[in-house]
Amino acid sequence: MKKIFALLSGLMIFSMILSACAPQTVVQTVVVTEVVTQEVVVEGTPQVKEVVKTVVVEATPEPKKPQLIIFNWWTAPGEREAADAMYEAFKAKYPDVEIVENPTPGGGGVNQRVVLQARMTAGLPPDTFQTLGGAELKAYVDAGQLEPLDDLWAQLDYANKIPGPLAKAVTVDGHPYVVPLNMHIQNILYYNKALFDELQLTPPTNYDELVATCEAIKAAKPDLACIGLGSKEKWGDAFVFDAVFMEEAGPADYVKFYKGELDPATFEPFKRSLEKFQALAPYINTDHAGLTWDQATALLPGGTAAMTLMGTWAIGALEKGGGWKAGVDFGAVTFPQKPERILLFHPDTYGLAKGAPNPETTLKWLEVVASPELQVPTDVIQGGLFARTDIDPTEFPDPIRQELMQYVRDNPDKLILDQHGSIAPSSFTSEYWNAIASFLVQPNVDATIQQVASLFQQFNVKDASAWYQWP
Amino acid sequence: MSAITTPTTRGKKRRRDQLTFVEFLVFVVPLLVFVITLYGTLIWTFYVSLSNWSGIAANYEFAGFKWYQSLFNNIRFWVDVQNNLKWLILGVIPTVFLAIFLAYLLELAPFPAIESYIRTLILYPVAMSFIVTGTIWSWMYEPKRGVFNTILAALGVQSPLTFTTNPSTATYWLILIFIWQYLGFAVIIIQSSFRTSELQEMVEAATVDGASKLRILFSIIIPNIRSGLLVLVSLLLISTLKVFDIVYIVTFGGPGISTDVLSLYMFIATFQQHLVSMGAALGVIIFLIAFIIVIPYTIYALRRWFE
Repeated sequence: MKKIFALLSGLMIFSMILSACAPQTVVQTVVVTEVVTQEVVVEGTPQVKEVVKTVVVEATPEPKKPQLIIFNWWTAPGEREAADAMYEAFKAKYPDVEIVENPTPGGGGVNQRVVLQARMTAGLPPDTFQTLGGAELKAYVDAGQLEPLDDLWAQLDYANKIPGPLAKAVTVDGHPYVVPLNMHIQNILYYNKALFDELQLTPPTNYDELVATCEAIKAAKPDLACIGLGSKEKWGDAFVFDAVFMEEAGPADYVKFYKGELDPATFEPFKRSLEKFQALAPYINTDHAGLTWDQATALLPGGTAAMTLMGTWAIGALEKGGGWKAGVDFGAVTFPQKPERILLFHPDTYGLAKGAPNPETTLKWLEVVASPELQVPTDVIQGGLFARTDIDPTEFPDPIRQELMQYVRDNPDKLILDQHGSIAPSSFTSEYWNAIASFLVQPNVDATIQQVASLFQQFNVKDASAWYQWP
Repeated sequence: MSAITTPTTRGKKRRRDQLTFVEFLVFVVPLLVFVITLYGTLIWTFYVSLSNWSGIAANYEFAGFKWYQSLFNNIRFWVDVQNNLKWLILGVIPTVFLAIFLAYLLELAPFPAIESYIRTLILYPVAMSFIVTGTIWSWMYEPKRGVFNTILAALGVQSPLTFTTNPSTATYWLILIFIWQYLGFAVIIIQSSFRTSELQEMVEAATVDGASKLRILFSIIIPNIRSGLLVLVSLLLISTLKVFDIVYIVTFGGPGISTDVLSLYMFIATFQQHLVSMGAALGVIIFLIAFIIVIPYTIYALRRWFE
């Protein structure tokens, strides 16, 4: 009996400690005692009687400052400034709102997602969080963690303000779920301008030209790697492979392939692409497996690589990290430009989390995200293109993005989701990167084809990416 | 404890097995919290591994051994198992032997004046985080601009070493980092187990009898430092089995998947692929390997120790 008593009291103390930790709402109750002098007429004789009245006045709780709880992974140098630019644009319109940011120290997309995933599973969603368009967005939609934004999009007429393929990349079953604020382009070939001038080379626009250029560079500078690659994160390999594959397959089959509608075992362009990719290996820096993308990009200013295939975010890395100037020290072309000039892209986006504590503020935030006032400063700093096509391309300081933005304005349909935006679900894509990265270091065409084919089966890509529509 | 309590101080004598309220709070509550967090999450992980949670939202629908099956059919899983075995064997055995040898050298003290400095020096690496040492080593390993090959090049040697960029040898270079980092720690443990009076006496007796230094090491010291070896080998086994940070920092499993290990796969599967049940299944498998390898070893060693 005593034991039970001890156990119970222990539990009680424990729960008391727990409940003491819980935040308490403080409601101040003020008791005001006032003396009211009243005239009471009692049978003709006027008498003055004092009545003591107690009035309890409940203080109205101080109006809570509206909040916006936001989750993003822009914490690295260059990205931090972009995040601040976003908040500044929002504060300019809504100075009263307090922004509660939960960045995860260490930057990196994966770490932020770990914390976010844990919070959402625990039923503690923020108001809004950063997500890429494509497979990642689809995962949140499937999990029922985002509210559809049809009304907001209609109100802003956003579908007509951005390129069609961008709208489709964030639309699932007819409902837009997020507001994209930029577009990053994956398939850009950066090259050392001084070197190309010296050797009188023109930047390659297809596979054959790339090989010819690399041969010329190898002949003139045997110590120089033609293509600087960083494959530590694995997706670097997939970028280069995609560039080869896009030319071999063409845009329509490229999309079909990643939607799991084609069998890698019988789809010839896939096999040819692997062989051509393997043939590029001698032109790639030998230490690629140990380098991250930024280290590989730094090989250009470092003078150990002539070209690198990387996304729009490399412009900032080359300018700030390498001290190079776009258009002067380095040039850029999208690659490949045959059979068509397709831009592989992914957007950064924000949506309204289901169960968001402050939905009204969040809608205001999303409205600002859609506006040029936010997109211009943020995108110029962070490195992508504008999501809106009605912004003047000359807002960009560098000629590379000016040209890209102009191209997107003239050809809004030439955009297809890239590796990060990912048409196929992330369960597939992550393993697919491994397969391609393994192939580059230990090439075995048939084994890789088989492996990729089984990945498509295992992760049921055909059903999982049926939502993506292109063109 | 309660047996010592005299009746006069407490008024009446308590029974031996009864806990006072304070005792209960001090011992039982932390124990409960510990047991619940440890075994609760363990059971929970096992449960999740049998469910069908793939995607961001939790899904506890029962799926049986589906995820285990898909792991066993996965090339990557077997590469990881092989790599984990390499870590277990090459991370533990060389470290232990090197440690015994170094500890004995220090014990012989050819340079008594600087012995303590040397000991501190070799203990330093273990005081650093793997994140730090991993980053430093990955710089040193760089085939083109790294310290090792630069030194070799300065000596006029065209280095054939590719370190972690060669898929067939990369894991061994990673294990070398581990050995370097744990060696000092291992030496300290072995050295402390030298310092028993019985062992010292035996060594003295052998010296008087004219045994050589090597003979003393193999015939007297090694058979008599069981307690130290027990602690050291168990710790190293556990550390190599759960290795994550070195791989994450230096190669991230690459080139390709050649240095991937189970714990890194668990992390990627759970948070990058959103295959939470598969990640949980990997966790269970790591636990089972620990159970199969580490626990029998510990029991065996403890038995021999108490013989």
